[in-house]
Amino acid sequence: MQIDVTEPRTGASVLTLEGRLNMVSAPQLKTAITEAVEAGRTHVVVDLADVGFMDSSGLGVLIAGLKRTRQDGGDLRITGVTQQVATVLQLTNLDRVLHSYSDVGEALDGW
Amino acid sequence: MAGEYAVRGLAVPESLDLVQDLLVQVRSEHPDISETDLSMFETAIAEIHGNVVKHGRPVGKVVYAFSLSVHDDRLVGFLADTGEPATDLSEMPLVDEMSESGRGLWLARATLDELLYVRSGDRNTWKMTRLRSARAATH
Repeated sequence: MQIDVTEPRTGASVLTLEGRLNMVSAPQLKTAITEAVEAGRTHVVVDLADVGFMDSSGLGVLIAGLKRTRQDGGDLRITGVTQQVATVLQLTNLDRVLHSYSDVGEALDGW
Repeated sequence: MAGEYAVRGLAVPESLDLVQDLLVQVRSEHPDISETDLSMFETAIAEIHGNVVKHGRPVGKVVYAFSLSVHDDRLVGFLADTGEPATDLSEMPLVDEMSESGRGLWLARATLDELLYVRSGDRNTWKMTRLRSARAATH
C-alpha cells in the first residue's frame, strides 16, 4: 500500500492511501498516524478514495488512530469511503464512530 | 459459468495478498458475479486467513490451502490449515466499538451465508458459502 502524507495546514495531516488496507499494510498506516501525532499534527484525515478493500486490521488501526489523536486534543476523520469499506463500517457499527466526509476539503473544514 | 481456483503455501502475513490476488483473478474471469458478492466473500476469506496467520501455531510454519469454487448460485471456499485448533465460533460477540481488535471472525460470519469450521486430525478446515445475488432479469 502507498501512503502519501501532506500537511495542508499547521497541526493537520492528510494521509492518502492507495491499495488494500489489510493485515499486511495496516502497520504502515499505524506508523504514519503515530508519526503525524508525534510531530504535533493531531488532526488527521485518512483519505480512502483509492482503498478498494479494508479488513478488521484496518478498522483496528483507524480506531487506534482515533483514540491516539483525541488523546492529544485532535481527531481523526475519514473520507472517500468506497463500497466495500462502507459496508464493513456499517456491519461493525463503526460508521457511528468513524465519521465519513465526502472529500478532504470537507473533512478539514472547521479544524 | 463455473470455475475452480486454488492457492497454498505458508500462512504468513504476505500470503494474504496472494489469496486476495486470486480474488482479483476471479473478478476478472467472472464479470457476472456481483461486486457485492465478491467483495463480501473477499472480506470473509481475508478475515479467516488473517485469523490463521495471527493465531496459527507454530508461527510461520502453518501451511494453508485455499480453494474457491464459483457456482451459478453460490461461491464456496475451503481454507485448510495445519495450525492448532481454532477459536470456538459460537463465542463471537461483536466487541466494544472502541476496541482495536476482535472483529475478524464476527465480520466473516456477517458477510457469508454459512461459515463452518471442522477440526479433523491435525487440520482445521473452514467452509465459506455466500449465495449469489439474483441477477437482474434480461430482456
